[in-house]
Formats: sequence, C-alpha cells, structure tokens
Amino acid sequence: MKVKEFAEKLELKRLTGESGLDKEITGVYACDLLSWVMSHAVKGNIWITVITNINIVAVAVLTEVSCIIVPEGLKVENVTIKKAQQQGIAILSSSMDTYGICCRAYTLLGK
Amino acid sequence: MRDLSLHLMDILQNSIAAKASKISVFIYTDTVQDELRIVVEDNGMGMEPEQLDLVADPFATSRSSREVGLGIPLFKASAERASGCLTIESMKGKGTIVTATFKISHIDRLPLGNVAETMVHVILSNPQLEVELTLHDSRDGSFHFSSAYINEMLGEVSISDYEIITWIRDYIDEGIKSNFGGVLNEIDY
Ligand SMILES: Nc1ncnc2c1ncn2[C@@H]1O[C@H](COP(=O)(O)OP(=O)(O)O)[C@@H](O)[C@H]1O
Ligand SMILES: [Mg+2]
Repeated sequence: MKVKEFAEKLELKRLTGESGLDKEITGVYACDLLSWVMSHAVKGNIWITVITNINIVAVAVLTEVSCIIVPEGLKVENVTIKKAQQQGIAILSSSMDTYGICCRAYTLLGK
Repeated sequence: MRDLSLHLMDILQNSIAAKASKISVFIYTDTVQDELRIVVEDNGMGMEPEQLDLVADPFATSRSSREVGLGIPLFKASAERASGCLTIESMKGKGTIVTATFKISHIDRLPLGNVAETMVHVILSNPQLEVELTLHDSRDGSFHFSSAYINEMLGEVSISDYEIITWIRDYIDEGIKSNFGGVLNEIDY
C-alpha cells in the first residue's frame, strides 16, 4: 500500500501537502528515541513518534521510512514541515494515539 | 518531556516550592564546544548535602502529595541522552543552582520549546517573584530580561496586564531568535 492510500483510509491530516505520498509502505515502527530509531527503523516503515523537532526529518531521510505520523493531534513546528517538504517526506497527523494507529495499521497491512 | 521549556518549568516550580524570591535563568550556547547550557539559580531554602545526594533519585521527593518526584531525574535523563550532564549545587538557607548541559548537535537533544511561554506563566502565577532571563551565544551579543526592572519601569501598572505580558512574550521570543537562530536548528529565524 502507498502512503497516500494509507493516509486516506486512516483519515490522516497531510501536514506536508503532497510531499512523499507515493512511497510504498512495508510495516510500522513506533519509537521516540531518535538515536534508537536511526538504527532500528526499516526502509519503508511508517514511523510513529511524538517528537516533532527538525531532527525527525533527518532520521526519516537516513532510515528511508515511508512517512512520519504524529499521534494525538500534536502540532508540528514550521521548520520541521518546511524541511520535510524539501526532502520529500510526508508528515501526517492523527487524532488517535500510537496504539490506535498501530491497531488500524494492523487491520490494513497485516502482521 | 518533549522540549526543554517544559523541563525548565519543572525546575522553576522547584525553586518556587523552595520559597525563592528571586530566580535567574541563563541559557548559553557555545558553537565551538557544541554545547547548550541551561542554568537556574535561586535564593530559596536550599538543600542539605544528604538531600542533595538523593535528588536524582525519583523516589526521594520531599513532596507529601505523592511518592515520586520526577522533575530533576527527567531533566538529568534528557541531558545525558544528549551527551550532557546535570549538576546541582545547593546550600541550606542560601539557594540552589541547577545546571544542565547538552551537546547541541546530538540527535536526541530536545528542542528549546516555548521558553517565553514558560517565563510568562511563571510571572503570571507568581507576581511577587523576581525573575531574570539571560540568553547568550558564544559568537556575540546577549539578551537580558528582568521582571524587577519591568516592575520599576511600570510603576503603578501591573506586570500581569495583558499588554505587558504580550510585550514580554514577544520580547523573549525575539531574544531567542536573535541569539539562537542559526545555532539551534529548531529556531525559525
Ligand atoms: N531549587 C530547589 N531548592 C530546594 N530544594 C529543591 C530544589 N529543587 C529540588 N529540590 C528538592 O528535590 C526534590 C526533588 O525534586 P523533583 O525531582 O523536581 O521532584 P518534585 O519536585 O516532584 O519533588 C524536591 O522535592 C525538593 O525537596
Ligand atoms: Mg519538581
């Protein structure tokens, strides 16, 4: 499934507009310690995090995750959004919490 | 905690709980050392050496309302996660100095967050308290805010007035931008 379809099915808000919606999703990774995510997230994963500073864009570029989802309706700083757009990364926002997003992802993506 | 201004709020609440009448906050950046330093100095009741030894232990709170105190342990964890450290100097009856350092470029360094909002919140909920904020970057320049100075200038007018508070918030925001823009990657300047 592509990021775009996933975003539509979960009614996620596209904070970065059209950027990065074409990437293929391979699974889900949820963690907030960026140094840990750097060495554990897998290419194509949806990455769920409550961290919203500009470093998440750097980590997303490095790990080649398919997109970033911020849970619980968190606000994301403008610098982060601008950088994500430049780098072609989608940042999506959900009103659900991390567990809720994972559960929905499971029903859509399996395992 | 997601940003440093929330940690700062916690540390300021400790000083207020310790009956400080004056609190000074310093935020320094040193681009050569790649270090961010946050210092909170108060003239509150201070701590005995034995108490100081235990302060980083979350189960060593002096609160009666609950059994764990996490303000200092969490701030320490955030500093250490970014290759920094937290130190506390304290003297019973004199006051306390809490210093946290962070490696600026460390990927897990939390962003500054809304320091202006934290300061304004503290001023509004403690109108008698003298609050100072100093910002400085190693390149040059510095910024200073003092609630006592503002109070003196205002005379009869209250520092809690909506216009004054709005001015203070903008003034601090500007100070953050002009000192730390280009130094801390989260600052939009
Ligand atoms: N600035 C301070 N002055 C005096 N005592 C302090 C100060 N900061 C912390 N303490 C002491 O350290 C304890 C732990 O602080 P903290 O970790 O923030 O947890 P809490 O505030 O929830 O108790 C406090 O309960 C207090 O006894
Ligand atoms: Mg506390």
